[in-house]
Amino acid sequence: MSWIFDKFNSHPGLPAIICNHKVYTYHDLNNRVEWYLLFLKDHGIQPGNVVGLLSEFTFEATALLLALAKSCNIAVPLDPGNITDLDETIRQAQIDHLVRFREEIPEFLNIAPGSDKHPLIRTLQQEKKAGLILFSSGTTGKPKVMLHDLTRLIDNYQNTRVKSTNSLILLGFDHIGGLDSLFRLLSICATITLPHSRQPADICQLIEDHKVNVLPTTPTFLNLLIISEAYKQYDLSSLEIIGFGAEAISAALLKKIKVIFPAVRLQQKFGTSETNAIRIFNNAGDEQFFRINDPNVQYKIVDNELWLKSSNNILGYLNMETDQFENGWFKTGDLVESRGEYMKVMGRKKEVINVGGEKVLPSIVEEVLLQHPDILDCKVYGMENLLTGQVVAADVVISPATDMDNFKPRIKKYCREKLLAFQVPVKINIVEEITLSSRNKKVRSNL
Amino acid sequence: MKEEIFQLLFAQAREMGEETGQTNLLNPTVETKLYHRDGNLDSLGLVTFIAGVEEKISDKFGVDILIVDEKAMSQVSSPFISVQSLADYVEKLLQNESGE
Repeated sequence: MSWIFDKFNSHPGLPAIICNHKVYTYHDLNNRVEWYLLFLKDHGIQPGNVVGLLSEFTFEATALLLALAKSCNIAVPLDPGNITDLDETIRQAQIDHLVRFREEIPEFLNIAPGSDKHPLIRTLQQEKKAGLILFSSGTTGKPKVMLHDLTRLIDNYQNTRVKSTNSLILLGFDHIGGLDSLFRLLSICATITLPHSRQPADICQLIEDHKVNVLPTTPTFLNLLIISEAYKQYDLSSLEIIGFGAEAISAALLKKIKVIFPAVRLQQKFGTSETNAIRIFNNAGDEQFFRINDPNVQYKIVDNELWLKSSNNILGYLNMETDQFENGWFKTGDLVESRGEYMKVMGRKKEVINVGGEKVLPSIVEEVLLQHPDILDCKVYGMENLLTGQVVAADVVISPATDMDNFKPRIKKYCREKLLAFQVPVKINIVEEITLSSRNKKVRSNL
Repeated sequence: MKEEIFQLLFAQAREMGEETGQTNLLNPTVETKLYHRDGNLDSLGLVTFIAGVEEKISDKFGVDILIVDEKAMSQVSSPFISVQSLADYVEKLLQNESGE
């Protein structure tokens, strides 16, 4: 993995990271990585130790993460905003030492060095490789604790050419999507802009201030951006590419984005925590569809579910059996519709609503609701019902101009014209806003 | 109160008749069959009908009642047979609600 630091050395003057309005060059980054290597040594952190890194996505945290990779440690990036029980997190990830930040100054905490480790961690330690432990978002049930081979993950970005571009990373420091963007951008010595908040107006301000070219985001964020109308108040003309991923996107949303940003190229991204990002090829014209175009990845579709086999698959889970894996195949839980070699993500398997045996995908109902002029945003989910097991329910955010007279019956009638009877929402709730997960996705956990 | 409940069920029936095109529901009476072997609703229709009624009761009486529960399902005679039987059942629920 030393190649990446050589690359930083060859381009010392290029801006690497913009964080809190400060610009750090690749020279600054390399220096800081060296500083953290001494910091680790001074605190007696040995190669192979599991080190928790409690921090927002910042320049300091990035430098420490790279130092941990370089010294063959197993890094556990933890976003303070996503941690509810730190002690439990430390136990689950088998953390030896913790580094947290106060005003960007690192603080070292000794936890339980030398405790018995999971066999997968021991293997990495024996092979003298760096590791990465990530938690799944765990919107339902217990979060999964996943172990990646960090050396292999970073080496995957070798042989990429230097490219001058400025990307804003919206996904978290503890999210595979955020880390994939980080390593990919560092490997091409690009500029990374790190936001201090994820409010649409703050993001727009950063794009204007730092002339950001690439904005990788989620459909949910794009929807918030449109509803907030923040894009109208800032100069976003530097934007060349808007990437989206992490959840299914509706045709209605794609259409709106194209109208607002006619000159911007839309690019879908796809990946899972278990496989890392997968290189895909977007279908020109209909960006909902893509085909997998990655030499490291094989795929197949089983009962509409996408299965992946990648050389970047995680080594395994620390807290559960690898039941989502079968003979090296990872069952993504993503339901796709295929058209030739192209496919489109329809939603998550566990979000499927079962109405008296009939299966309903929330995305299909949401798509129809979003086409209605009165509905700005919506979330469709299953609600328990004694008669049919579950029924379809919808939370909707409506336009202020909406005529409230007979609103719900009108919406139901409209849905009935476009959907099958069992897909029509039985219950419609008017809400102020749609609740999102800490990772900016809609939480469709069935009630 | 009973008359108000009838009016509310009629309104719901008409609404569904317009939505689904079932003419039997457009001019409802107390005898109009709902979920029954010669009823006008299938199970999904009943679920939708009930959800609409619950909403209207909430608007009209300011109370949230749950019509379909274990108790409703275990009645000797189903409350969902006709407008009359449902009105009786809803009235009972509302009386219980105000008695508590």
